[in-house]
Amino acid sequence: MLGAPPGSPTRRDFISQLGAGFGSVALASLLHESGLLAAEVPASAPGGRAPHHRPRAKQVIQLFMLGGASQCDTFDYKPELQRRGGEKVNFTVTGGTQASAGPLLKSPWDWRQHGQSGRWVTSALPHLAQCVDDMAFLMAMHAPTSEHSAGQTMQTSGFVVPGFPTVGAWVSYALGKLTDNLPVFVALPDPVGLPWTGKAAWTNGFLPALHQGTMLNPAAENPVPDLFAPKSAGFVTAASERAGLDVLAQLNRAQLQPGDSRLEARIASYELAARMQLAVPDVLDLRGETDTTKTLYGFGDAKTEPLGRNCLIARRLVERGVRFVQLWCGSGLAGASGNWDNHGDITPGSDFERMCVRSDRPIAGLLHDLKARGLLDETIVLWTTEFGRTPYSQGSKGRDHNGNTFVSWMAGGGIKGGATYGESDEFSFRAARDTTMCYDQHATMLHLLGYDHERLVFRHNGADRRLTDVHGQVIREILA
Amino acid sequence: MCEIVWLVGVCAMMGGTALRAEDFFTAKVEPLLRQHCYECHSHSAGKMKGGLTLDSRSGWAEGGDGGPAVVPGKPGESRLLKAVRHELGDLQMPSKKPKLADADIATLARWIELGAPDPRVQAAAAEAAWWSLKPLPRAVETSVPRSSPAGASASPIDAFIRAKLDAHGLAPSPEADRVTLIRRLTFDLHGLPPPPEEIAAFETDRAADAYTRLVERLLASPRYGERWARHWLDVVHYGESNGLGMDRPRFEAWPYRDYVIAAFNADKPYARFVQEQLAADALFPNEPALIPALGFAAAGPFNQSALVEQVDGTDCKRLALNLDRDDMVTSTASTFLSLTVHCARCHEHKFDPISQRDYYRLQAVFAGVGRAVRNYDADPRLRVMRTTLSKLIAELEKNPAAHPPAAAERVELGRAQIEWEKSLAAQAVNWIPLEVEKVSSVTNTTLFTRLDDGSWLASGTAADKDTYTIRVRTKLSKLTALRLEVLPDERLPMRGPGRQDNGNLHLSEIRLSLASVSGSSASAPALLPVAEKLTPLALQNPTADFNQAGWGIERAIDGKKETAWGIHPQIGKPHQAVFELKQPPALTNGAALVIELDQLHGQHHLIGRFRVSATDRALPVRTPTLPLELLAKLARPESERTDAERKQLFDQHRLVFLKRQLAELPPEQKVWSIAGDFAPVRNYKPFKEPLPIAVLRRGDLKQPLATVGPGALAAVGTLSPEFALTNPNDEAARRAALARWITSPDNMLTWRSIVNRVWHWHFGRGLVATPNDFGRMGALPTHPELLDWLAVQFRDGGGSFKQLHRLIVSSATYRQSSVAADVRRRTGDATDLRLLTSAATIDSDNRLLWRMDRPRLDAESVRDALLAASGRLDLTMGGPSAMQFQFADPNKEVSPRVDYAAFDPDSPASFRRSVYRFLFRNLNDPLLDAFDAVDPSLSTPSRHATTTPLQALSLWNNRFVLRQCEHLAARLEREAGTVEARIDRAFRLLCARAPTPAETALLTGHARQHGLASACRVLVNSNEFLFVN
Repeated sequence: MLGAPPGSPTRRDFISQLGAGFGSVALASLLHESGLLAAEVPASAPGGRAPHHRPRAKQVIQLFMLGGASQCDTFDYKPELQRRGGEKVNFTVTGGTQASAGPLLKSPWDWRQHGQSGRWVTSALPHLAQCVDDMAFLMAMHAPTSEHSAGQTMQTSGFVVPGFPTVGAWVSYALGKLTDNLPVFVALPDPVGLPWTGKAAWTNGFLPALHQGTMLNPAAENPVPDLFAPKSAGFVTAASERAGLDVLAQLNRAQLQPGDSRLEARIASYELAARMQLAVPDVLDLRGETDTTKTLYGFGDAKTEPLGRNCLIARRLVERGVRFVQLWCGSGLAGASGNWDNHGDITPGSDFERMCVRSDRPIAGLLHDLKARGLLDETIVLWTTEFGRTPYSQGSKGRDHNGNTFVSWMAGGGIKGGATYGESDEFSFRAARDTTMCYDQHATMLHLLGYDHERLVFRHNGADRRLTDVHGQVIREILA
Repeated sequence: MCEIVWLVGVCAMMGGTALRAEDFFTAKVEPLLRQHCYECHSHSAGKMKGGLTLDSRSGWAEGGDGGPAVVPGKPGESRLLKAVRHELGDLQMPSKKPKLADADIATLARWIELGAPDPRVQAAAAEAAWWSLKPLPRAVETSVPRSSPAGASASPIDAFIRAKLDAHGLAPSPEADRVTLIRRLTFDLHGLPPPPEEIAAFETDRAADAYTRLVERLLASPRYGERWARHWLDVVHYGESNGLGMDRPRFEAWPYRDYVIAAFNADKPYARFVQEQLAADALFPNEPALIPALGFAAAGPFNQSALVEQVDGTDCKRLALNLDRDDMVTSTASTFLSLTVHCARCHEHKFDPISQRDYYRLQAVFAGVGRAVRNYDADPRLRVMRTTLSKLIAELEKNPAAHPPAAAERVELGRAQIEWEKSLAAQAVNWIPLEVEKVSSVTNTTLFTRLDDGSWLASGTAADKDTYTIRVRTKLSKLTALRLEVLPDERLPMRGPGRQDNGNLHLSEIRLSLASVSGSSASAPALLPVAEKLTPLALQNPTADFNQAGWGIERAIDGKKETAWGIHPQIGKPHQAVFELKQPPALTNGAALVIELDQLHGQHHLIGRFRVSATDRALPVRTPTLPLELLAKLARPESERTDAERKQLFDQHRLVFLKRQLAELPPEQKVWSIAGDFAPVRNYKPFKEPLPIAVLRRGDLKQPLATVGPGALAAVGTLSPEFALTNPNDEAARRAALARWITSPDNMLTWRSIVNRVWHWHFGRGLVATPNDFGRMGALPTHPELLDWLAVQFRDGGGSFKQLHRLIVSSATYRQSSVAADVRRRTGDATDLRLLTSAATIDSDNRLLWRMDRPRLDAESVRDALLAASGRLDLTMGGPSAMQFQFADPNKEVSPRVDYAAFDPDSPASFRRSVYRFLFRNLNDPLLDAFDAVDPSLSTPSRHATTTPLQALSLWNNRFVLRQCEHLAARLEREAGTVEARIDRAFRLLCARAPTPAETALLTGHARQHGLASACRVLVNSNEFLFVN
């Protein structure tokens, strides 16, 4: 285990510096990794629970549009809203930040139908519009809150209060690991900053800490906290690393106690840590990616590259056996303009457009790339946000929070591409028909992963807790 | 045939006992429901389609979305019957299944006709048989097993434990060696390793009471309170930030933490400890130093964005208020009663005899409090002075004649008034209006109109953000200060003075510049445009007549565009801000000045109407604190004032005088706690009286049922759940009543709960393995008689924690070896070998305590032990929390930025004990996180102890850890001469023992080659350091 090398760490650098010791063990494993992944998924992966039925997918990428992405300007086409823009309609305002509704605000973006499925998408998302036949849309999602952190916590954990395990933690708890080299659950915050609830957005809640999301920060000296010794620790050298780990293993082996497996587990944990030291820089080393691939994700354009880089890393994580990748678009800590909370303006040139541009090409690229590599078949991609926005205006050009209806989509493993479920009312103010909540989406995801959401439980403080609380129904209409 | 018999039976008993009718339900009706309905309508299936459950009486009585499912006695009105008869249109039950047989439908109809007897409700209510709800035995009944081989000298604890071991054919392990014992005890009672000198002293102490004296010494040290307070803080989910989306720091939370530490150190009786945390203000009003105890119910998360930022009446706000109370109820019941009452928020408790009514009665206890920074004076005399003054001021403000001053006071006031008037005269400012030449806006959408009074009104499309530029001329020859007035106007939203919908404005920055013609204009050809030069004039000491909370006037000159001055909620009124010039310039007559007003907050927080003026008065120049009209009166000499004016001025001055007296008292202390009354923060205001609390069907705010008053749990049969309150609107009395109910000697849950927690913290597992849940979903006690014996001892012994510790740690059970093989090694007896084998098979996870467990150090102990070994541990107690991270808080609207990796581990804050570290909810320390530190979002009665690769990485690479390795190496070099001696000392400091020759050889070899710090790094990562035998 080495001190962080100068400059960008590369896999080769690490391997050459490590020489012998745990590093070589890890290397051997790393080289066999693709072989491991190609093999059948075992009935119950290490650390996981036996599935309840045959799974359709084995991995998940959750894309979170932080701030409340406007369904009125992306996916939820309402001719009535387009026709009656400017008109005052008497809505019963139940959430949001304003006490009363402004006049209807027609979307300033062009609506067009796309793909075989004829899904309506605005001109704000030209690249995602090309993917609609791979996506299944939940058009009448709703949330019990129109407040950011509660809304975010709801979508990430199924509860509006903090402290409950997040979706990724449940997936880790259920499915266990596919690889020893990387964490089961990885969170990729937007490079501009953390979500509303900081690191609580990938908490394990009351599940054991091993199910916690590991934050990957590609730009940091340590992309994973404490992956390498800091430069400030001058006494750490490549030789002391190797020899030190060797002495440690000898000490620990000599102190084993019969009947206490934890002591052996700790010895193993250092071996796993060494593998992670190789695998993490390897995931982040994008030099092996072709220009075509990089272009697909929006590299080369400062507006799209930041998220494109994370999307590409997400694919590489999935390729290497990470179960659950949580990828954030938008930050709650970067001020009003760093997310989808577009109270002031949703017209061209606004922050709304910047968020669309920031994510459109990278996410479309991710879908294309996953599909081209055959990964989409067994990977669920789930696009969500904490709530929608009002069809009426806030100020003159913005929209307020609206938990009454919003749009979410899913794609990949076991999802019926081009499907649509649910419908909002004539203005997209309230979910109207075949309404769904995060419970249903999470139940559907778990179903595709091989689990019955009602049977996947963890006993905590007197209750058998579920990801879906006491709710949720698998949305069969969007299953392939 | 059976059917007939039953119906006959039922008919026969119509006038008889209800019991038979209930038998009918159990035998005939329930099986039908179970077979056809439960699949979609029961807790057991976890489904409540249409909101309906049928596995409890309340389920059908409340019914589903369509209302009650059964109306007793009225089959025709019962939706259940209509649904199975297919009389409700599409609602045909059972759903998508064949219609029920006519006989079955008739059974259901008959049952409803009979009044729908349903015994299941009694089954839930009559739960006295459940172990945790049984009354505690009387002291004389708690007999200690006698027939045990432990002998008369053994502690009663051992007798209970051995009786159980005997019954399973098991034997206890021998006593651990001295080194093991002192390390175990010191980590257990202090959370720190024993210093090598203390180990040596204890090893060689041959006195019979050596162990007892060690225990006493450890319990007397303040380190004990620090360690045990941390346990308590886990349970009460104490954090120092709000959590959720606005994870704002709580800089005033720590007094609660210090209160808990002090309570443990002082061995505060448990009943008193509980009472103070729930209702110190009500129960001990003469001991204001106890106010920090009220931090208990406020310790959890706080949804600031909903509770503070949202206006009242929205769904979000109502939900957030409900969940805020839920957090208090949950915390109270989990902490003190080990019950999961929160399950009854949405439905009758599925497993325990807790009704929704019980739950909402507990909510009503907290229906009058909010979470806020509460001011208090630890000194009661100071409190009296402060309240007397505040009350007097408040009354005089309403009615100046309310309390005429006494003669002596009148003399003193008269003298002070002369000084006051002098100082005011010295402050009078002559403001000269600035002559405005031009006003413009960068957005060009704003129009400006000059009004008669020299002010300007903004109109036209309000931009999201804007900057106004005002070009003025002045005849002043010197400019010392600038005044900006913002004025109300009927044409502005809410009368202004801002253009935001709510009348507010946000002035991000104000800049003043002197405009001068550049170059030598006199010689320039007259036809060329003249270039103008702007020289910025720095502003200072800004004052305003009113500042919005968190939006003070100083923010208008702080150079940050994201901070601003605001005036909400004082809208519809004139306001003014005054700015001094840092270096007042000398001006030529008619000099041109440019004032720029940045208003960059967005969402139309723009100034609606303004006026600018200036003065040449000598500094300081401040915004006046008196009404302008009064100032005019003061300008006249005393002799020319009317009596009415004299009186008005006297009264006004008296208030100023009293307010100054108040301000000169030592500042109040502050604690984040629950409070009935507190200073409003935007939309979060104290409730004038407790909010009405209704039982909510399915926990849904839109479906309120009956309103309930404050009360406790009916399931505790030894006590009445009703509170006899003289004034039901006195919220503090509600809390006091609950505190008394909880701490009653007859509340069996309270006493069982706490002794089980203490046992859990000593042994790593409670006698009940689920310390927060004594209900049916929790574990059963492994040693129920021991639990009861301890509970009674503890209760009747005055609730002394230290006495309980003595009892437990002096037991042979606690002093056993943790090494399974010791049973055999010590005796070499074949019988014991057999015992060992059976122990491993009968009780491999040691529930019966045939040996001691081997806990891994918890997160705080890892960190503190490293500091203790490195010699850097700072034992300063109490006070504001140590920020062991880099902290930046650029935007007070959102969570701050917290960087642990960038924090210098040699900063003084780094060396404090971990119980004093600042606890951000959303941004925990990755090092402590890796060792399962708690997430204070929810209560943590029992910590995980995981082993993960990330934990290995943290202990191996974390900057703080590596720095302590360097400090430890330096210490070893100071304290020992040879490498061998240094390695020996490192082992003693970290593992409490001398190394074996093989270990010495291994580590000295490594140290010689790679340095002593590297050897320390290895040892710090060893299992022996991390586990306690």
